[in-house]
Amino acid sequence: MNGGLRIGNREAEHVHASCQTEVEVKHGVGLHARPSVTFTRLAKSFPCSIEVAVNGSDVWLNGKSIIKIMGARIRKGSILKIRADGILAEEAIRALKDLIERNFDEEKKHGRTA
Amino acid sequence: MAAPLRLKATGASPGVASGPAYIAEPPAVAAMSPSAVSGHAALAAAIETAIDELQNLATGSDAESGDIIDFQIEVLRDPTIAEMAGARIDAGENAVFAWVATLDGYVRELESAEEEQLRARAVDILDIKNRVLAALTGTPVEDFPVGSIYVGKDMEPSRFLAHDWSAGGGIALYAGSAAGHVALLARSRSVPMVIGVGRFTTKRGQHIGVDGDSGVVILQAGKKNAPPPQAAHQMTNAAAITDNGNLRTADGSQVLLSINVNAPDEVDAIPAATTAGIGLMRSEFVVTSLGDAANEEKQFSVYRRLLDWADGRSVTIRMLDIGGDKPLSGLTEISSLRGIRLLLVRPEIARVQARALLRAAVFGNLRIMLPMVTFPSEVDGMRQIYREESSELARRGVPHRVPPIGMMVEVPAAALMLDQFESADFFSFGTNDLAQYLVASPREDADFALSQARAVPAMLRLLRQAVKLAGSKPLSICGDMAGDPSLTADLLAAGIRHFSVAPARLPAIRSAIVGLNADGTKAAGE
Repeated sequence: MNGGLRIGNREAEHVHASCQTEVEVKHGVGLHARPSVTFTRLAKSFPCSIEVAVNGSDVWLNGKSIIKIMGARIRKGSILKIRADGILAEEAIRALKDLIERNFDEEKKHGRTA
Repeated sequence: MAAPLRLKATGASPGVASGPAYIAEPPAVAAMSPSAVSGHAALAAAIETAIDELQNLATGSDAESGDIIDFQIEVLRDPTIAEMAGARIDAGENAVFAWVATLDGYVRELESAEEEQLRARAVDILDIKNRVLAALTGTPVEDFPVGSIYVGKDMEPSRFLAHDWSAGGGIALYAGSAAGHVALLARSRSVPMVIGVGRFTTKRGQHIGVDGDSGVVILQAGKKNAPPPQAAHQMTNAAAITDNGNLRTADGSQVLLSINVNAPDEVDAIPAATTAGIGLMRSEFVVTSLGDAANEEKQFSVYRRLLDWADGRSVTIRMLDIGGDKPLSGLTEISSLRGIRLLLVRPEIARVQARALLRAAVFGNLRIMLPMVTFPSEVDGMRQIYREESSELARRGVPHRVPPIGMMVEVPAAALMLDQFESADFFSFGTNDLAQYLVASPREDADFALSQARAVPAMLRLLRQAVKLAGSKPLSICGDMAGDPSLTADLLAAGIRHFSVAPARLPAIRSAIVGLNADGTKAAGE
C-alpha cells in the first residue's frame, strides 16, 4: 500500500509543472465569440491553471474565462503570452499554441464567416 | 340520497359553484432559505438547469444558432462569473440578486464595447440571465383540477392566479378573511368563495357546493341539483357601452370609471373602450417570487402588454406591495416591512421594477403608483431611484420615459396630510388598508368585515377631508369601497370623480353613477 502511494506521488510530481509560451494570432477576426469559445473550452479541459497576457501587458487573464478572453481585444497580429501551472501544464500549453496556429480550426468549421 | 348537509360560513365572493372537492395540502415552507450555503447551491443548480435547456435547444439547430448557444453555455460555465456571483452571496446578497448584478455588470460592459461584434453579444447574455432566473424561481405551486372546489385552511394568491377558473369552480376556506387578498382576487374574477367554514371533512373528489351569496358550503350536493357554472365574465352586457369609462352624472358632471387588474390576462375579455383604462394594476400578483422581482424582461413584457391593451388610455401600475401579509416567495428577511418601506430598504428590487416601468412608459400612457406611503420623504426617496435609473438608461441609449409618479392613500397618517405630499403627481385611495388601520383590526380577522362596515362614517369623513387636501391633483379611489354601489352616492358627495373597480363591478357602478347627481343625491325620477 505504501509503495503504491509513493508511485502516485512520483507520477504527480512528474506531470505537475509550470510552462509558458508566446504565439502570434493570425486569425482575421481575432478572438471573437466562436474562436474564444473554442479556446476556453480547450483550456478548461486541462486541470492546471491557464493565464493569458496580450501584447506584453503584465495583466494575466484567466484563460478559462470566456468573458476575460473576449474582453481582451485580441486582434490579428496580437502577441499572446500563455502560461500554465499545475498538472498537465506542458500538454496544455502545447495544445493551446497548436490551436492558435491552426487559426482555431475556423476554416474547418464555417469557412470565412465571422 | 340523504338531504344535503349545509355548513354555515361567510360569503367572501358572490356566486354559486359546485364540483369535486380538492383538499389542499398545507403550503410548503419558503422554497429558498436565505443562508449563503444554500444560495451557492441554488445558483449552481439553476445554472446547470439552464445549461441542460440550452443543450436541448442546440440539438437540431442550425450552425449559426448552435454557435450562439455554445457561447451562452460557455458564459454559464465561466469561472470568473461564478466567482463574482459567489463573492456577492458570501457578502450576504441573495442568490437571485447576486446573479442579476453580476450579469448586468457584464451586459453593460458589452454594451459599451467599441466593437459592434461585442455589443451584439449583450442580448445573448440577457437571455441566459433570464434563463437562470427562471430556474431560480423555484418549483411552481401544484395546480388542482379545473372546475373543482378548492378546500383548505387558506389559499396563496399565486395558487389562485396559476389556476384556470374559466371552467368554473369555487373556494371554501376553513379560516380566511373576506378582506384578504385571495377574496379580492376571487371577487375580481367572479369566483364564488366562502370563508370561516371551520374544519370539515370531505373526501377528495366528493361533489360539494359553495354558495357565496348566502355563505354556505353544501356537502353531499347531488350532481343533478348543481346549478350551472357561474358565467365566467359578466362583462358581455356591458361590452356595448363603449364610452371609454367617461360617464356623466345625472346632472352632467364628468366621472371616470377604470378597472383594477391583478394579472395581464384578466383584460383579455374586457374591451378597453368600456373603461377609462386601468386605475390600479397590482404588480405583486404578477411578480410572485424573488426570481420574478429580479426579472426586468418579464416585468417589462407584462407592463407592455397592458399598455398595448389600453391603446392610449391611462394605465396605473402600482409598484410591488410586498411584505407583511403579502410575502414574496424567496424573500424571508425583514418581512415586517411592507410596500414602499420594504422597497426603499431593498432598492435592488425597486430598481429592477423601476427600469422595467421606465422602459415600458415609452409604449403608452403609464402612471406609476407607490404603495403604503406614510411620509413625503418616501416619495422623494423613490423619485431619486427613478432619476438614477433613468440617467443610467440614457447613458446606455435605452429608450425610456419618466411617467407621472403618484401614491396610494391607504395609511391614515398620509390621508390626513395629503397637502404635504408635493412630490406625488396623483393620489388614489386604497380603502381596504385605510379601513384596516383606521379601525385597528387585522384583515385576517373574520369579523374585520363587521368593523369595516361600522367604520364607514369615519372613512367617509377621512375621505372628504383628504379630497380637500389633495387640491387640484388627479385623485381616484381603487379600494373595495369603490366597487360597492351602496356607497357610490357617499363617495360622489365626498368629491371623488374617478372610480377604479374590479371588472365584474363595472355594470353596477356605472348604473349607480349615472343615476345620481354629483352631490350624491338621487336624480329626479329615480
